[in-house]
Amino acid sequence: MSSFIEVADVSKRYGNHVALSHVNLKVPDGSIYGLLGPNGSGKTSLIRIINRITHADSGNVLMHGRPMTDDDIRHIGYLPEERGLYKKMKVQDEIVYLARLRGLSRHDAIVRMKEWLERFDLGNWRDKKVEQLSKGMAQKVQFIATVIHRPPLLIFDEPFSGFDPVNAEQLKREIIRLKDEGAAILFSTHNMSSVEEICQEITLINHSEVVLQGRVDEIRHKYRTHQFRVLLEDGQEFDYQLPKGMSIHDAIAQLNAQYPLAGFHEVLPTMQQIFMQAVGAADKLKVNS
Amino acid sequence: MSRLGLIIQREYLQTVGKKSFILTTLLVPILSILLCVVAPIMLSSVRSNDEKVVAVIDQSPGQSYAPLIKDVDEFHFVAIAPQDAEDAHAVYIAGGKDYYALVVIPANIDSTLEFSIYSESSVPRSFSREIEHFLRPALRKARIESYGIDNLEEIVKDCDVNLHVNSVKWDEQGEESISSSELSSILGLILALAIYMFVLSYGAMIMSGVVEEKTNRIVEVIVSSCKPLELMLGKIIGVALVGFTQFAIWGILLSVGGTIAAGIFGLNMSPEMMSPMGSTEAIEAMGTSGIALDSDMKEIIQMIFSIDYPLILSCFVLYFIGGYLLYASLFAAFGSAVDQQQDTSQFMGPIMFFMIFALYAGMFSMENPDGPLAWWCSMIPFTSPITMMVRLPYDVPAWEIVLSLGILIVTAFVVLWLAARIYRTGILMYGKKFEWKELIKWIRQ
Repeated sequence: MSSFIEVADVSKRYGNHVALSHVNLKVPDGSIYGLLGPNGSGKTSLIRIINRITHADSGNVLMHGRPMTDDDIRHIGYLPEERGLYKKMKVQDEIVYLARLRGLSRHDAIVRMKEWLERFDLGNWRDKKVEQLSKGMAQKVQFIATVIHRPPLLIFDEPFSGFDPVNAEQLKREIIRLKDEGAAILFSTHNMSSVEEICQEITLINHSEVVLQGRVDEIRHKYRTHQFRVLLEDGQEFDYQLPKGMSIHDAIAQLNAQYPLAGFHEVLPTMQQIFMQAVGAADKLKVNS
Repeated sequence: MSRLGLIIQREYLQTVGKKSFILTTLLVPILSILLCVVAPIMLSSVRSNDEKVVAVIDQSPGQSYAPLIKDVDEFHFVAIAPQDAEDAHAVYIAGGKDYYALVVIPANIDSTLEFSIYSESSVPRSFSREIEHFLRPALRKARIESYGIDNLEEIVKDCDVNLHVNSVKWDEQGEESISSSELSSILGLILALAIYMFVLSYGAMIMSGVVEEKTNRIVEVIVSSCKPLELMLGKIIGVALVGFTQFAIWGILLSVGGTIAAGIFGLNMSPEMMSPMGSTEAIEAMGTSGIALDSDMKEIIQMIFSIDYPLILSCFVLYFIGGYLLYASLFAAFGSAVDQQQDTSQFMGPIMFFMIFALYAGMFSMENPDGPLAWWCSMIPFTSPITMMVRLPYDVPAWEIVLSLGILIVTAFVVLWLAARIYRTGILMYGKKFEWKELIKWIRQ
């Protein structure tokens, strides 16, 4: 799979504060890439560098293998964590304006705006001012404005914050649909369950450094703690810790001898646990050093 | 359409469509008409109705002075029997304190030229001036007669020298025309005031627009699709176009209103002045009124035509653009440096200082157009748009205008460039307490 965007050895300092230190990552086409990390770890700095809002002190951002130029920002759709729209503008004017700013013709902008508003059940709100919308509706409008020009790279910073579960689900479906249509999606979040659900790869940044990177399934395997879930025929369940040195085969044989075994499967650590472990370990290291 | 074009368009349409814009555009002319025309008429028609009775005690031998004082405004004069001046207070008491004042004309007023006004409250200066005005001719006449010289009256009148200056200015063909630098400098002052008002109100509009975008967080979305410089320029140009629109509307309202007023009042205006406005009623009204232009009117009209409009108006446009660009950049930069609307007030201070100083320097240079203050203030770019506009009618050498404009334009672009650097960093910087040191760091980045 070709990587749409590649961050190569990017570093950034603000005065004495190191925001990013030698960060590398590749976001392939047609995938959702999670950018994880605690608050203040440097995620937003990295996103801003990719967006060319700020510039890296060293390192490169490559698009299809060549260094990005100012013109390439047309190929990016960016949904910032802090949502913002012109409150006094009408919904349709606002979407069309932002779409045209990113290079759509007026006609295309209007056609797609109508399409998207219908999809999000906002058709009746076209003539309303943004300030009249509920928070969730305004978030949807902003999402539409982000994706309307069909950019090959989408950057979502905490896209689910402020959504109720129903709307969050709808948004998740749309994000997956965009991925299936071939977009590369860089997705920054604290919500680890959504990472397990939709991300193929992640990078975890802590204290401006990459501490964990790779495919989500591989990472979960790497961090396995040999925890198993045992199901019995009578419906009972319990956790089982594989003793050190024992093979799974032997463990099953042993359990089978003891209980009426109905099921036995490994419990991989959740991204939440991995996150806590990776960030915690790094913090401990920092305290010691 | 280019991104800059789109930003300008949005800025323009959003502002022009606002209720506040429509309201100010319509209300300002109405309010200024009220203030300049209706209010004075109403105020002058408001007179206090309670009559004030003033007693006049004429101690002169013939008691010839008291009848000369006629009722004026709300003052009603009554002559009462001559008494000693010392008794004036007693008369006042006896009159039940009903008199507003007592005017005592002493017996020897011919020689002392003094009279007194007694009252419990202080009398207005205009009141004593009125009485002087009534008494002076009689006293003067009495004096002249006392010399016993024949025709002295005529001799004195002949000696009264009243100088009248005709300032005649040659135009390029050597033709004479009557010029008035006062009149044209009033035009200059009006245009300078227009620059002042425009820069201040629209500059503030830019600043609040920038702060709004920043607090809204929309700015992060916008600058991920265009350059910060484009956003800033778009705002500055868009707001300028809003201003031009407002001025154009006012211009149309003024000429339409002026034509209608001329029609109603049958004002005597020259047809050349009226014809561009093309109001047939007005011209008809003038035709029927048929009043010949008197000489004063002719002179004023001649003066109006003698003003070098191409010079003043083209300078106005250039100073306007330069001054606006300079201050608008500052407003945009300052707006980007703060987090909240309230924090902008600290920048208004220094900006207001420069602008008010420029205005004073401009008014002062009407008195002394070639003085050092006027000269320097018309070179310093922060004051030149205002000061130079006032100085222009006083035949400022061409090189000075070119130099001053050059400095202004160059400074405006340098400040624009600096502002763009501050803006670029400032709009994405949140939660930082504003410091001047920080601004310099942003410029260097």
